[in-house]
Amino acid sequence: MGVGSSHGNGLFFRTLTEKQAEEIHLASCQILEDTGMVIHHEEAVELLRQAGAHVEKGNRVYFPSSLVKKALQTAPSRVTLYNRKGEAALHLEGSNVYFGTGSDTLNYLDPFTFERRSWTKADVANAIRICDKLPNIDFVMSMGLLSDADPRMINREQYAIMVQNTEKPQVVIAEDGATLQDIIEMAACAVGGKEQLRHKPLFMIYTEPTSPLQHPKESIEKLLIAAENGVPSNFACGGVAGASVPTTVAGALVQANAEALSGLVIHQLKAPGAPFVYGYGNSPLDMRSMQAVYGTPEAVLFQGGAVDLAHYYQLPSWGYAGCSNSKVCDEQAIAESTMFTLMGALQGCNIMHDVFYMEFGITGSLELLVISNEVIGRTRRLLKGIDTDKESLGVEAIKRVGPGGNFLGDDHTAKHFRDNWFPDLSDFNNYENWTADGSKTMIDRARDRIKLILETHQPKPVSEEVKAQIEEILHKAQEKFGGKF
Amino acid sequence: MSDFSSLAELVINGNYNGAKDFTQKLIDSGADPIEIINQGLMAGMDVVGVRFKAGDMFVPEVMMSAKAMSTGIELLKPLIADSDMPSAGKVLIGTVKGDLHDIGKKLVVMMLESAGFDVVDLGVDIDPDAFVNAVKEHSPQVIGLSALLTTTMLSMKDTIEALKEEGLRDQVKVIIGGAPISQSFADEIGADGYASDAGTATELCRNLIA
Repeated sequence: MGVGSSHGNGLFFRTLTEKQAEEIHLASCQILEDTGMVIHHEEAVELLRQAGAHVEKGNRVYFPSSLVKKALQTAPSRVTLYNRKGEAALHLEGSNVYFGTGSDTLNYLDPFTFERRSWTKADVANAIRICDKLPNIDFVMSMGLLSDADPRMINREQYAIMVQNTEKPQVVIAEDGATLQDIIEMAACAVGGKEQLRHKPLFMIYTEPTSPLQHPKESIEKLLIAAENGVPSNFACGGVAGASVPTTVAGALVQANAEALSGLVIHQLKAPGAPFVYGYGNSPLDMRSMQAVYGTPEAVLFQGGAVDLAHYYQLPSWGYAGCSNSKVCDEQAIAESTMFTLMGALQGCNIMHDVFYMEFGITGSLELLVISNEVIGRTRRLLKGIDTDKESLGVEAIKRVGPGGNFLGDDHTAKHFRDNWFPDLSDFNNYENWTADGSKTMIDRARDRIKLILETHQPKPVSEEVKAQIEEILHKAQEKFGGKF
Repeated sequence: MSDFSSLAELVINGNYNGAKDFTQKLIDSGADPIEIINQGLMAGMDVVGVRFKAGDMFVPEVMMSAKAMSTGIELLKPLIADSDMPSAGKVLIGTVKGDLHDIGKKLVVMMLESAGFDVVDLGVDIDPDAFVNAVKEHSPQVIGLSALLTTTMLSMKDTIEALKEEGLRDQVKVIIGGAPISQSFADEIGADGYASDAGTATELCRNLIA
């Protein structure tokens, strides 16, 4: 097992040495064995007890290191997510990188009125439509909490919106096991049945422990349902360094790793070989504002460490990109989000979420989403590295053009200039042409783009039959709650 | 598709070998050389110009199209009297005295040629007298002066003065360009125009000649 990410040609990136990864691994195993976890789920405790874990006080479980080793042996080293058409879309393996949005922001930064307001179903549908159009957004999450939905039905309603407004794969949040079951039903309708969904998963479920060292009932419930149904799952809390995990990057990694591995053990005991995506988040506590902040240098380093641990374990990795603490889509937003996106890509984090998050994930910005799409495009070109084949070396072209010549008129240029990155939103005009186009800044152009996509892009709809089935699933769930809220 | 539009298509696609062969084929079949240029080669370049302006084609592709056009024109030149040769106009261009930079100027030359202009490129480090002599020799409609340095851009003024002294200033439009150049500098030294990039320079020449 090795650490580090190999990208195109010679491009390689690593945060930890293999020795450091082993040190963290051993420290996490020590925590699992000596300190253990509190697990609020009877079936999970029983599974662990039967597998050889020591249990005290009913739910304090001490994990022998051998259980971790066994789980790492059965977990697959690659997971594939499929789109609604049933085509393989995200190959979560090796150093592949994919980007998507985040879920459940409280506020929507309206790109036309500039208000910070609650999300409606229509807003989320529009936001997902934009994701459907953006080529560098590979998967979607629910983006906004619905202010016009029954509060008990939010995750189900969000799923119905997502699956009908994009063919791209999804990462899903579910309030509880019953919600996850309904989401599985809706996804199965969209792809032609449960067996098809198991064979070609359309979505991955995001479940999480409650740091430090506790597993809530609902999280384990979802983890077990996912394992049983072959729905890819992670077990990735957003740690808050200095509060729920240690303030040092290494300490945060040790605890995060212990928690993620404990989830993996339970998951693999339930269904050996079920798809699991390793990862964890860390939003360090700012010691002045008491906010859990995104994308600090330590948070970015933490992710590099977590991804190298994933490589060390040969598991697919989960992480963050394109997110910010800023309240509006300003210079800070672009600086923070861009640094996270580039670094996450270099780290080789397989599936990165939260692109478009502002204000620590409380608010979402479509401008940031559209600008990040461009940043990801630049980043993807960087990951290709430098090709040094004969044609790329261009020796013949250099000889042809000779001293004082010009490559612009040479065949080599015409043949290869399209290999290079092209701006889409970035402005490469000179001042005169820029002013002639209206002196628009990046955010002006991002807003124009949002408007254009909303006016012109219609995602491929689901069939009327699927639409009716989804309605029926929502209707039944609503009835179980005893009607409207 | 007519033969002329097939030739235009080869020019649009930058297929210079194809354009050369096809031009020869048209000549052999007895087509009128002027029509081959106007309805085939130039018609193709007109489409290229439109596409380039719309952002659908890029400079290296325009260059390949221009190369396709000129391979055809080379074959046709001996068949046409000089005075009958279709041209968008004649432009004389050079980097002014003391300045050896020419990448930007070369871009302008390439863009002008691809737009059908007849361009005489004097090269670099051209003093005012050399410009004056070249104007006498070639009788261009436009003369383009290029400079990269703030120290050499002053020589543009000297060149314009030299043209005045020789009584040539009214016969030729003077345009200037280069990194330190601005519209206000052009106004200050009495130039007829300024272009901020190679694409704009082509349009500027078209407007000045029209």
